[in-house]
Amino acid sequence: MIPRSVLLDMLRRRSGTIENHVIDEFLAGRLDRRGLLRHGSRVGIAVPLLAAILGINARPAKAQGVPGSTIRVAHQVPSGAVEPVSVANTGGLILLQQVGEFLVRDLPDLTVRPMLALSWAPNSAGDVWTFKLRPSVKFHDGRIMNAADVVASMDRLADPKNGSNALSAFRGVLSLGGARRVDDLTVEFHLDAPNGNFPYYVSSGNYNSIILPADYAGDFEKTFMGTGPFKLERFTPNVGANFIRNPDWWGGAVLPARTEFSFFNDQQPQILALQGGQVDIVTQFAVQGGLGLMNDPDVKVLKLRSSAHRQIHMKTDSPKFGDKRVRQAIALTLDRPGLVAGLFRGNAEVGDDSPIAPIYPSSDPAVPQRKKDIERARALMAEAGMAKGFEATFTTMRVGEMPDFAVLIQNACASIGIKLNLKIEDQSAYYGSAKAGTSDWLDSEFGMTDYGHRGVPNVLLAAPLLSTGAWNSAHFKNPEYDKQVADYVAATDLGIQRAASGKIGAILLEETPVIFAYFYSHLSATGSGVTGVEKTAISQLFLQNAAVA
Amino acid sequence: MSLPRLPIRRLGGGLVTLLLLSIAIFAGAQLLPGDVARAILGPLADPSAVASLNHQLGTDRPPLVMYADWIGHFITGDMGQSYAYRSPVMPFVATALSNSLKLAAVAFVIVVPLSIGAGVYAASRAGRWQDRVISIAGLSLTIVPEFVSSIVLILIVGVWLRWLPISAATRPGTGALEQLRHLILPALPLVLVLFGYIARMARAGTLQALDADYTRTAVLKGLPRHTVITRHVLRNALLPTITVIASQLGSMIGGLVVVEALFRYQGIGSLILNAARVKDFPMLEAGILTVGAVYVLATLIADGLYTVLDPRLRAGVA
Repeated sequence: MIPRSVLLDMLRRRSGTIENHVIDEFLAGRLDRRGLLRHGSRVGIAVPLLAAILGINARPAKAQGVPGSTIRVAHQVPSGAVEPVSVANTGGLILLQQVGEFLVRDLPDLTVRPMLALSWAPNSAGDVWTFKLRPSVKFHDGRIMNAADVVASMDRLADPKNGSNALSAFRGVLSLGGARRVDDLTVEFHLDAPNGNFPYYVSSGNYNSIILPADYAGDFEKTFMGTGPFKLERFTPNVGANFIRNPDWWGGAVLPARTEFSFFNDQQPQILALQGGQVDIVTQFAVQGGLGLMNDPDVKVLKLRSSAHRQIHMKTDSPKFGDKRVRQAIALTLDRPGLVAGLFRGNAEVGDDSPIAPIYPSSDPAVPQRKKDIERARALMAEAGMAKGFEATFTTMRVGEMPDFAVLIQNACASIGIKLNLKIEDQSAYYGSAKAGTSDWLDSEFGMTDYGHRGVPNVLLAAPLLSTGAWNSAHFKNPEYDKQVADYVAATDLGIQRAASGKIGAILLEETPVIFAYFYSHLSATGSGVTGVEKTAISQLFLQNAAVA
Repeated sequence: MSLPRLPIRRLGGGLVTLLLLSIAIFAGAQLLPGDVARAILGPLADPSAVASLNHQLGTDRPPLVMYADWIGHFITGDMGQSYAYRSPVMPFVATALSNSLKLAAVAFVIVVPLSIGAGVYAASRAGRWQDRVISIAGLSLTIVPEFVSSIVLILIVGVWLRWLPISAATRPGTGALEQLRHLILPALPLVLVLFGYIARMARAGTLQALDADYTRTAVLKGLPRHTVITRHVLRNALLPTITVIASQLGSMIGGLVVVEALFRYQGIGSLILNAARVKDFPMLEAGILTVGAVYVLATLIADGLYTVLDPRLRAGVA
């Protein structure tokens, strides 16, 4: 075995400033082992090398189980065309990912691993990232993938004329023309601004960013052309999709012979189908209505921590919620551990009124956890001149546990004299046109919105909370917060991110424009004989190592 | 009015109804919140992406232009392009209609003879325990909502006993018998709901016919009871029942959203619901008009059967 000091020397010699800084942080004890893996992989240090330094086995789990299985998956029906540029729902994104691949894979522990890119590295400013591509990767039609395909794929997503769903992620990060071919196996990304988390933007976490042939003409459903471990056998809109193994996959042997995705409109039939032995996997279920699975000895529940949550916004410029003491008081009425236990049977983590979830390594544990304190809440209301409380409308949507949570918020607010009238709407009515003036999401003075999992908190820090944020329902404007977020986003160094994270947490606790009460886990289920299923917190399923006993 | 002109007038009335329905659906769709591209790309999509997709789909045009464009194509047999699926609507509607018809056919094949037989039998045993059992059981089953009976049936027959598949959907190319096996379980909740309704109608009609003078005459002529029932009673007793069955056909085609969802079946009810969710106007219009056309057709068939069975109508005296 090579001594760690030798490995570190080797690593230092072949690394740039940013990579060396990550190593320094680790050696100084400011970065733990998990942090070294995560941040080292993010800035492009090869994971096997990091693993060797740490003395751990970081090789992907080897396929175990009987080859040749058919894996049957119950899955939410895609709500429209399965088209990589525009897909915006769980139903569609999982199908893209069965056949398509990303430059980088975003793992459940939030480390990133090579997929179609073998390595990547930023320049010293963090605004140009260079990706080296895996050679000899073939599309399903036999053509070799190269840098031109990558550039075309990214331009397609960054082009405002294309109706691209990824545009909301790329806005301010990568513009049309920002991806540039250097040679057949090298692509440079020239960013709009320095970004320390850029690999996540071209990872599986940005589900639209699968690499397609440069000449892709928008007819994805005809061929499901990609480079992945499975090829399309048959796709029937609204009914299902079948895939067969790709013998030319660069990753080696694919264990299942085929996979069958059956589309369902609702959760309950999926659960019954699993219990009735007609499917092997349910891609996602909620605790509400899913307790039967959690108590079934013939079912394995796969749980993944995530940053998915609900944001409870309060208009900081409204007469009722303008005083931060009122907002703090409301936040203090919530029994967060009780919510986690009651609404999620423990499958969630307590939030601290910041979007930087505990799952993110950059979260700062030094920020004090807000706890229920009714006496303090009443005192704050009195200090704000609201001792008698007031009446307000709480607006939210009919998704998952949100209606139940709204009732709990109503009860909690009653304890400090706030009488809430609930307005619970269909999702489309709540979002409306998503423009201020015609959207309850953006217009309501007190409301709750659903936010999904993100591999990095950048979007969550920016859009709902920056002074210029497009989703700023709270109308929160705080220059110091904006500055800290800018520092956080630009940082390629965990120490700087964590320092900014602590300051962000403190500002948000003090101002409380939005309550983040919990972050709930992603739950999937398989039959007890199913092995080798890998998933992500946005419902992606990697089945190349799956088998059914 | 002469007999041949009656169905033509009914057909004309049906077409006018469908035209008015298309206008009502279009007007209603305009009231749905949000826009098409936003529904496809999600609420958090970038505004420029939403605007761009709306332009690509043509949903940024004035509503009247969109309607005129759609109706112009529709009357030539072109149902248009789905906004959500970006492909022609016709195959979606055809598949969904075919599925709904198959499910309705299986349910009708089971429920019509069963409930008519039970209703006639109950009437022939009026006031006795058999009559009470059939009437109470029928009424009770009608009250149980489809989603309750569906889940109970799935749990017992599909999950515990594993006698029948839970999913109504089959792979393309599946044989007729296997398709039928998949449709039995989804058809049963519909049978349970319709049984009581049709049986009560059949019972009431039979009781009325049994009390009629022509039945008394047939009995006094010495005809066997079986002949009296089949040749004299049923023919008259089932006229209102036929109307009820015909009126149920429309709802059986377009109103099975719950059953379709629970049994994973892409019928026309689910198609309409999903189209409404994403404001897929061409799909919504085509789906609802197809259901409307089924209603019109079923009513025409019921009228035809009524005419065949009722000699007064054939003679033009009614």
